[in-house]
Amino acid sequence: MIAMAPAAQQRRIIIRRSPRAWARENLFGSAGNTLLTVVSLAVVAFMAYGVLRFVFVTADWSVVEANRRLFFLGRFPADETWRVWIILYVVSAIGGVSVGAYARIPWQAAIGLALLMVPVLLFIQGGQVALLTLVALALFAAGYGVARLPAAAAYVAQQRGWLPVVWVAAVLFALWLLSAVPTLVWGGLMLSMTLTVVGIAAAFPLGLLLAIGRASTLPVVRWLSITYIEVIRGVPLITILFMATYLLPLVLRPERDLALGIIDLPITGYNPNLVVRAFIAITLFSAAYLAETIRGGLQAVPRGQMEAAQALGLGTTRTLAFIVLPQALRAVVPAIVGQFISLFKDTSLVAIVGLTDLLGVARQVTAQQEFIGRQAETLLFVAAIYWMVAFSMSRASQRLEKTLGIGER
Amino acid sequence: MPLVLWRDARVQRIAVQALVLAIVAIIGWFLVDNLISELDRTGLQAMPFVEVSGSFPFVDFSEDFLSQRAGFGIGETSFGVDYTPNNSYADAFRAGLANTFRVAVLGIVLATAIGLLAGVSRLSKNWLVSHLAEAYVETFRNVPLLVQLIFWYTAVALRLPTITDTMDLLGVMLVSNRGVAVAWGEPQDGFRLWLLLLGGAMVIALVVRAALVRWQDASGTPRYPWWGAFGVFAAIGAITFFATGQPLEFQRPVLEGRAYAGGAQLSPEFVALLVGLVLYTGAFIAEVVRGSILAIPRGQDEAAAAVGLKAMQRLRFVILPQALRIMVPPLTNQYLNLMKNSSLAVAVAFPDVFQVTRVTINQTGQAVPMIVLVMATYLTISLAISAVMNLAYNRGLRGGR
Repeated sequence: MIAMAPAAQQRRIIIRRSPRAWARENLFGSAGNTLLTVVSLAVVAFMAYGVLRFVFVTADWSVVEANRRLFFLGRFPADETWRVWIILYVVSAIGGVSVGAYARIPWQAAIGLALLMVPVLLFIQGGQVALLTLVALALFAAGYGVARLPAAAAYVAQQRGWLPVVWVAAVLFALWLLSAVPTLVWGGLMLSMTLTVVGIAAAFPLGLLLAIGRASTLPVVRWLSITYIEVIRGVPLITILFMATYLLPLVLRPERDLALGIIDLPITGYNPNLVVRAFIAITLFSAAYLAETIRGGLQAVPRGQMEAAQALGLGTTRTLAFIVLPQALRAVVPAIVGQFISLFKDTSLVAIVGLTDLLGVARQVTAQQEFIGRQAETLLFVAAIYWMVAFSMSRASQRLEKTLGIGER
Repeated sequence: MPLVLWRDARVQRIAVQALVLAIVAIIGWFLVDNLISELDRTGLQAMPFVEVSGSFPFVDFSEDFLSQRAGFGIGETSFGVDYTPNNSYADAFRAGLANTFRVAVLGIVLATAIGLLAGVSRLSKNWLVSHLAEAYVETFRNVPLLVQLIFWYTAVALRLPTITDTMDLLGVMLVSNRGVAVAWGEPQDGFRLWLLLLGGAMVIALVVRAALVRWQDASGTPRYPWWGAFGVFAAIGAITFFATGQPLEFQRPVLEGRAYAGGAQLSPEFVALLVGLVLYTGAFIAEVVRGSILAIPRGQDEAAAAVGLKAMQRLRFVILPQALRIMVPPLTNQYLNLMKNSSLAVAVAFPDVFQVTRVTINQTGQAVPMIVLVMATYLTISLAISAVMNLAYNRGLRGGR
């Protein structure tokens, strides 16, 4: 019944067989196996019929077509859209180089990606937007191609350690570009992505501090870190979002000057809007999970490394900065990508506190008079977008893990 | 002792800790001070009046807004909790908590079953079966749970046939947009006595099993201890069932006018929430199961095959017992996630503890105490689940590795 560790741990030996031999071995090996095959076939046929019938016959996709812009950008002003395109291009180019620097895209995946793009382009229809999207794809391909050029490959592989720095710079650039537009009109997929990126990037320093704090030998520091991490991880994200929504205006907006004993600090109140509150909540939430991820990396660094550094006379800070962290952070890169995926899915919760992220738009759209009762189409469309992003990133993270050779030494 | 005081490692340690504590204290004081002054200004309460008492959930709210009449209805309650709009906010909170427990417990059981099935299927030699399982896992774990929940509720549960056109599945299940009714045993008089006797039967069965094991070891021939124990348990269970006057009446659901009668009735909200949680968490559990089985060295399976064990025996006696040890910590994580994710009930209007909290905040404006209360509740459940699972892991499952 169970094939133990099939091919996963060894190199695959490819033997060409006739389709009949293949089917006999893999589908009809025994009576029980044949029964399983027949039952599974029935399940597949039933579900394929249901899904195909819905997608091509029953469904009315006009709700998606009429609201395309909303799904991707929310109420982002039309004459500011160029900002988003520029960010998309920068990200595409860097993404292409990053993928190319770490792995070759297998041709099956390339074909899969191309096939996925067909419905996207068909769906876009509008000539200008389709053209702009194609430019993004071309930039990705160009970045990938440059990184894989025989002349450049060795250099790129050597310098790829800088890629995280490039990504941080890109994130800062993107935020600077977007900051000219009020956060309240950010929406759609763009808001979901921004929430995720900020949720990882802004939470990273705090997560790093908490991870080091948790591994510290100073009891006060360790217990404070543990308390923060465990409290945040012990409660649902939605409660943290509610806390931010209701409590942030109360704790940040004193209607008076703050009297710090002797000195009076004239701190005028700051009342973050709903979107900013969600950003803060996601960051506080994500920091606790990042801390645990980084802790895993810290524990993976052999003790001998620290002892050797101390033997050389390095103090705690320098041991951490030059010996432990570089190794620990390198080991957690794939885990951080994994966390990016789960945070991307988790950002859908902001729809509950009234934001118009991708899911929030879906809820708004189905409340429109002419599209009442079109929940299935809308939600399937939204689910497909979430799925494409999450699935492709999880595959990328698996490749990265292999290339970096994590867990193999 | 070094001559310069600030060079002393002990002094440095204390100084660093004092500094960190001071920073945290200043930030905390700043926030809390603002909070209190804002609450004073708006006339809201800072904390629930908490007094430890003997009754569940061990907190007494009698002097508090929580003891006032709630005035809102709760669509369904669990575990026989009585609640009407005339009850207090605290009662509403308890009713919500009971609902959370019902969906979490049922969800954990079903998600484990589906996860085991899908995880083992992914390792099947049958190409179609393994890829079907893979398709399930990759589809469901890469779409946000909230999207799935809203889909199950608004696009499936509420779009089912109306109650007058109820779908009848073999007479054991009725399905309509008013929810699902399943055939179920209804406890009668003497049910508790029977449960007590069943407990006794289990003890006897375990004694019988131990005796059979000893006999088997002594005689060297198989005596099937588990089958023997099961037989004894079933026999005693059946005899006492009739002796106590058939305390469990099996009822098929029927349609009476425009409502279900008999059997277990599940609301569309509950069904949507349960299906969403189970399919989502099941996909993650499948990955845990698969990973744990793959982590067992190949030689274990080969050695078991060389000794002559058949495929099912290898799985049952060699692979799963070892895989289980690896499985427990990540499985605990998935159970915790399911419990926390049940708070997404707000999206499908199922009255769990968080939904009740939200309604309470909307009605009273008492956001601070309610959020503190609900977070403390979730935290307590989380810590309790991980404590229990850790204990089980350390006591028995970790083994001598």
